[in-house]
Amino acid sequence: MAVDFELIQRARKGDDAAFSQVVQAYRKRILGTIARLIGRPEDVEDVGQEVFLRLYYSLDQLRTPEVFEAWMYRLTVNAAYDYLRRRKRRAEARMSDLSEQQVLWADAAAGTEREHEAQRRKRVRELVDSLLSSVSKEDRILLTLKEIEGLSLKELEKVYGVNENALKVRLFRARQRVLKVYEAMEGKAAVAGGSEG
Amino acid sequence: MVDQHKARAEDPEGRLSELFAAYRAACPDPEPSATFLPGLWEKIEARRSFAYRLKRLSRGIITAAAVVCLLMGLFLSRPEPSVSYVDVLTADQSHDSAADEDLLPAGYERN
Repeated sequence: MAVDFELIQRARKGDDAAFSQVVQAYRKRILGTIARLIGRPEDVEDVGQEVFLRLYYSLDQLRTPEVFEAWMYRLTVNAAYDYLRRRKRRAEARMSDLSEQQVLWADAAAGTEREHEAQRRKRVRELVDSLLSSVSKEDRILLTLKEIEGLSLKELEKVYGVNENALKVRLFRARQRVLKVYEAMEGKAAVAGGSEG
Repeated sequence: MVDQHKARAEDPEGRLSELFAAYRAACPDPEPSATFLPGLWEKIEARRSFAYRLKRLSRGIITAAAVVCLLMGLFLSRPEPSVSYVDVLTADQSHDSAADEDLLPAGYERN
């Protein structure tokens, strides 16, 4: 826990200063999670404010402070869902991203170590964003929470309110779908790399 | 350790896991801007004032409904003019006998 229970209790009772402290303690982590969930840096703060706004108006429904972090993640996931639902994905933009991505992947496959670290990170970001954009928003969010945010199955149980076995099945299927796209991308990149060489 | 790493890199599952780990490292948590917290409080206040206006409006509607109910109650409970049933029946019968007279056949002489 980034804050103690007493601060959360005070915020629950309507102490605005306590609520501000809770926001300050969690905002960086929540913004990071949102950034990785939605993949659009320009909208991260808006979605983050929406998460804390929902927190402010739902804090009195929190039964025990022990589940606060799972509660926060649930609000974050719901806000990310709403954002992704609102955002109209442009198929043509995705297609151009994908073709550009294939070129980038071909570069990455060449494994040139002289490339700058920032460029490598940028490619990783673009590749994973592209992979996660190719599956449903449900898969994207679940995989991001498990594989990237590193939430345990127990934590995911609290966030989703479903049992561990159901989560394992959903995770497995989501992972298989991403893997399929990943292998297809690798295959195309290998072909592109081979034709260039 | 190196073998394990190599084995992971060879299978797509392992490469995907490594890619996710690299993504986590490539996407550090962003620093919130200076306007984040003030912007959040503006949104909270905006919703709070909207909720306040809604509350006032609903209170106004409830008060108006109560006043209408009270007026209706007063109107319905006002005293009726005191006319008894016998008075009404008598008035009605006198009217009936007048009507019966009109029903006599033509040329019939009244005694």
